[in-house]
Amino acid sequence: MTREDWLRYEIRYKPSFAAAFITLNPGERITAEAGAMASMDGCLTMTTEFSGGLISGLMRRLFGGESLFVNVFQNQSSAPAELVLTQGSIGDIEVLELKPGEELCFQSGAYIAHAGSVNMSVHWAGFSSLFAGEGLFKLKLTGPGLVLFGAYGGISKRQVRGELVVDNGHLVAYDPKISFNLRLSGGLIKSVTSGEGIINRLKGHGTIYVQSRSLDGLVRFLRPKVRN
Amino acid sequence: MEIDILHQPESSVAHLKMAPYEVVLAEAGAMVAMGRDITTSTTLRQGRGGGLMGGLKRVVAGESLFLSEFRAGSSPSDLYLAPYLPGDILLYEMLGPSLVVQSTGYLACTPGVEIDLGFQGIKSLFSGESIFWLTARGTGHLLLSSFGGIYKVEVDGKYVVDTGHIVAFEQTLDFSIATAGGSWIGSFLGGEGLVCNFRGRGKLFCQTHNPGAFGQRVGSRLPPRET
Repeated sequence: MTREDWLRYEIRYKPSFAAAFITLNPGERITAEAGAMASMDGCLTMTTEFSGGLISGLMRRLFGGESLFVNVFQNQSSAPAELVLTQGSIGDIEVLELKPGEELCFQSGAYIAHAGSVNMSVHWAGFSSLFAGEGLFKLKLTGPGLVLFGAYGGISKRQVRGELVVDNGHLVAYDPKISFNLRLSGGLIKSVTSGEGIINRLKGHGTIYVQSRSLDGLVRFLRPKVRN
Repeated sequence: MEIDILHQPESSVAHLKMAPYEVVLAEAGAMVAMGRDITTSTTLRQGRGGGLMGGLKRVVAGESLFLSEFRAGSSPSDLYLAPYLPGDILLYEMLGPSLVVQSTGYLACTPGVEIDLGFQGIKSLFSGESIFWLTARGTGHLLLSSFGGIYKVEVDGKYVVDTGHIVAFEQTLDFSIATAGGSWIGSFLGGEGLVCNFRGRGKLFCQTHNPGAFGQRVGSRLPPRET
C-alpha cells in the first residue's frame, strides 16, 4: 500500500483541542475507538465490531481497561464524505504512518482510530503495569497503515537509546521492543514527598511518545479541592 | 457595537466596544472586565422568554436564572466577556431566521435577540445530554461558547452529530434524535450513545470536544461528593 492510497486527513485546532477531519473516498473505511465520532456526513455507515476480534477485544476490556468495541465507518456512497473524530480528553492528536510490521503500544485511552491493514492486538505489559494501575495488557497496533492517537496536552516524540526515565503518567505510546521497569521514584517516602509518583525506567531501543501534561496531575490538583 | 473575539480557540474572550447607551445581556458571571461608565444590573428578562417564568425555564435548561445587563454610559466603553470552561466563542449575527442553541452554549446577546426555550426540549429528553435547547429569535449579535473549538458545517442533505458535540444550528434544519448506526445494540456497545440526524439546508455549529466526556474522565477519579 502506498502513501497515496491512505485516506486524507487534517488535524485542526492543534494543540489544545485537536480534532481529526477525515475525508473518506467512496469505498474507504476507518476504524475508531468507541465514542470517538463527533460528527459525520449522513451518507457514512457505522457498524460496531469487537476490537481486533472477540478474544483480543475481551483481553483489552478485562485486562487493559479499554473498550471491547470499535466502530467501523465506511463510505458506501459515490462521493467523498467527511468524518470528524476526537478524543474524550482535551489535547493534541498525532497521526502515524506505520510501516509493514512496525508496532506501537498504547497506554489506555490514547488510541483513537486506524485505517489500512493495521492489525489490532494485545501486548503483555507485565505485572508491574498492574501495580501502576495500567492493566496487564496494552493495546498493540501493527502496520502497515494509519494510526491516530491522542493525549492530554502536547505530544513529544523521544528516541530511547539504552535507557530513559519517564513519569508513567506522561507516557502515551511506545515501541513494544522497549522494556518497562516501573517503580516509585526513590522509595515510598521520597516518592510521596517529591510528588513524582510512579516513574518508568525504559530500556531498549525505539520510539516513545510522551504528553506534556498528565491527567494524574490534574486529578491530584483537584482532589483536595472537592468539598461538599 | 463592534465585537472582537480574542485568544481563540482555547482561551477565547469577547471584546465588545459599546457605543454610548448601548445594552448587552450576558449570562451571570461572564464579565471579565469593563469600563467604569458601564452600569450593571441583574435582570430577569422581560418580554418573551423573560420574567420569572422565563428565568425558571432557563434554570431548567441549565442556564442561570439571572442575566446580567450591561448599559454603557454617555461615552464609548469596553466590555470583556468569557465563559468559564476553556474553549471557543462564536459570534453569530441574527438576521431573521431563528437559531437553536444547546442550552449551556449561551453567553451573551444584544437586546434585539429574544431567547426562549424551544419546543425541542421535549424531543431531546432522551438524548441524555443537555436536556433543553434554547431558541434565539430576532435581530442582533449573539455570542455562543463551546468546550473545544467550534467548526461550522454547511448542511445540505443529511448530517449526523453526536449529541454532546452540538453548539447551535439554524432552525431551517430538521432534526431527529436516533441511535448511532441505527441500532440500540450498536449505539450502546459502540459507545456513541445518541446522535442527532440533521436534514435539510442550513448552518450547523459543532464543538470539537464533549464537556461531559472530559468531565467523566476526570470526575470518575475524584472522591465522591459527600451528601
